[in-house]
Amino acid sequence: MPSPDLLALAVTLKMAALTTLILLLIGTPLAWFLAKMTNRFKVIIEAIVALPLVLPPTVLGFYLLIAFSPQHLPGKIWQQATGQQLAFSFSAIVIGSVLYSLPFVVQPLQKAFEQLGDSLLEAGAMLGAGPIDRFFTIVLPLTKTSFITAASLGFAHTVGEFGVILMIGGNIPGETRVLSIALFDHVEAFDYAKAHVLAISLLIGSMILLASVYLLNLPRRITKKMS
Amino acid sequence: MTKLNLDFSLHYKAFNFTIKKALDLTGITGVFGHSGSGKSTLLRAIAGLEKNISGSIIFNKKTLIDTAQNFSVKPEQRNISLVFQDSRLFPHLTVRDNLTYAAKRCVNGQLKLTDILKLTELEALADANVLEISSGQRQRVALARALLTEPKLLLLDEPLSALDQLSKTKLLRLIVKIQQQLNIPILYVSHSVDELQQVCDNILVLSQGKVVSYGNIHQTIHQLNFLCTRLPSEQLIHQQTSLSLPIASTDNGQGLMVLTLAEQEILLPRLPDMFIKNQQLRCFILASDISICLNEPQNSTIVNQLSGQIKAIESSALDESTHSVLITVICSAQEFFVHISSYSQQKLALAINQQVYLQFKAGAVRTYLY
Repeated sequence: MPSPDLLALAVTLKMAALTTLILLLIGTPLAWFLAKMTNRFKVIIEAIVALPLVLPPTVLGFYLLIAFSPQHLPGKIWQQATGQQLAFSFSAIVIGSVLYSLPFVVQPLQKAFEQLGDSLLEAGAMLGAGPIDRFFTIVLPLTKTSFITAASLGFAHTVGEFGVILMIGGNIPGETRVLSIALFDHVEAFDYAKAHVLAISLLIGSMILLASVYLLNLPRRITKKMS
Repeated sequence: MTKLNLDFSLHYKAFNFTIKKALDLTGITGVFGHSGSGKSTLLRAIAGLEKNISGSIIFNKKTLIDTAQNFSVKPEQRNISLVFQDSRLFPHLTVRDNLTYAAKRCVNGQLKLTDILKLTELEALADANVLEISSGQRQRVALARALLTEPKLLLLDEPLSALDQLSKTKLLRLIVKIQQQLNIPILYVSHSVDELQQVCDNILVLSQGKVVSYGNIHQTIHQLNFLCTRLPSEQLIHQQTSLSLPIASTDNGQGLMVLTLAEQEILLPRLPDMFIKNQQLRCFILASDISICLNEPQNSTIVNQLSGQIKAIESSALDESTHSVLITVICSAQEFFVHISSYSQQKLALAINQQVYLQFKAGAVRTYLY
């Protein structure tokens, strides 16, 4: 039987990995759509995507808690489809994380797509490449760093999540008890030694991840300045 | 004969483009006009890159777009390739990989990559990074890449505009060579009539989103001479005589090339060795570079003296302040255009049907496809 903290680490990594994967799958088309959009609805969608950046996580968590409860439609549909309650489940914290970390994935991708522009895509079309072909052979290789940045930021931000999970996930070991919540538990129990271990690990882990992201983006910024 | 039927319009905020014209595409067809005339828009519409068009484009009986029928072929399926002004090479691929990108997606696969590398003189650069080659080389890669899609129609959108004169001449020669070897119809957009008259058989002239003229390159340029006089706001070109003449001698022994104009001849500075006797040379003489004499000039350093007859005298219709006239003179059945001041015309009392002599220096006979 692993220690409760290791279990919390496993849940955290599983949640963050799954969240990142889902975010890349839905964030990419959303970012593409926003990058190509020209009408006034663009700003409204952009504002909605950016909301988690400014909103207290408890606000998002509160509304999700209500939505996920079996009395309300999303929760009811989920319960009918899976036979399980959505609130206070692993699925709930993944859905919550996806919404909470959405801007961290969509914004870098949207910026990259906007910078790439249409000219190389038109060139691709002139060489007989269709839209999907162009995405994988032109867009993806040229925005690779932005994808890595988006995925890393999405992952790191999900690992560091607290408020939303507390509201909709509760504190179920092996299911919804993630590192940030385990840390909070230790502090509440005045077990500062264990709290220190978790806190310093999260700090160092996040630091390494962010430093790697900035390192990855460094050469591009320097070459841009030079040209 | 390749036919291109254009019948569409396109509207942006401050720009309207309308065309209804059937083009016979043999060899290289020029599309000429100033910026904002709609040249690039026309090419982009044919390529399928313009979204807001209404009307139809039919290429060799195959409908590319017909908005009345709600029908449109996607750009990647039109089998038409467009070479952009700014090359648009893929920066993450080498020269060779840029070419392979096109070759891999080509349905026919008749042309070999190595042959095209050779034709476009890119063999030495095949493994170069596309960001590290010159703009002239980049345009050659863009051209080679477009050729490897084996297009039924090749569209060139000001491919020379970013190049220096030497690279321009080289690329222009390459375009002619490609057209002759691969026999692909080409639509060539340029804002330089000098460039176009070196390579085009026919030319389509656009101004402010409308077709001004279409036809044989020399005749169309001569029509534009009059347009310049009648509508000074439409200063499309420098008034000039545009010629294709057979070479009588590539070097007369004194560093001059001799062209035949029926029983008369025209001399110009000797060109590099690529020309042979009897080959047609494309050249032009600016109307401001020719002067008129009433008697056969003797004792002059000016080497070209043609005898002819005045066919027309046209003074600038709207702009009185220019005080100049455009005189058409027929020399051995060829029209020449002379731009002189009204003062000179009155002084010599020039009139229609009068016999005159044209004078111009060898250096006034311009060509740059060498």
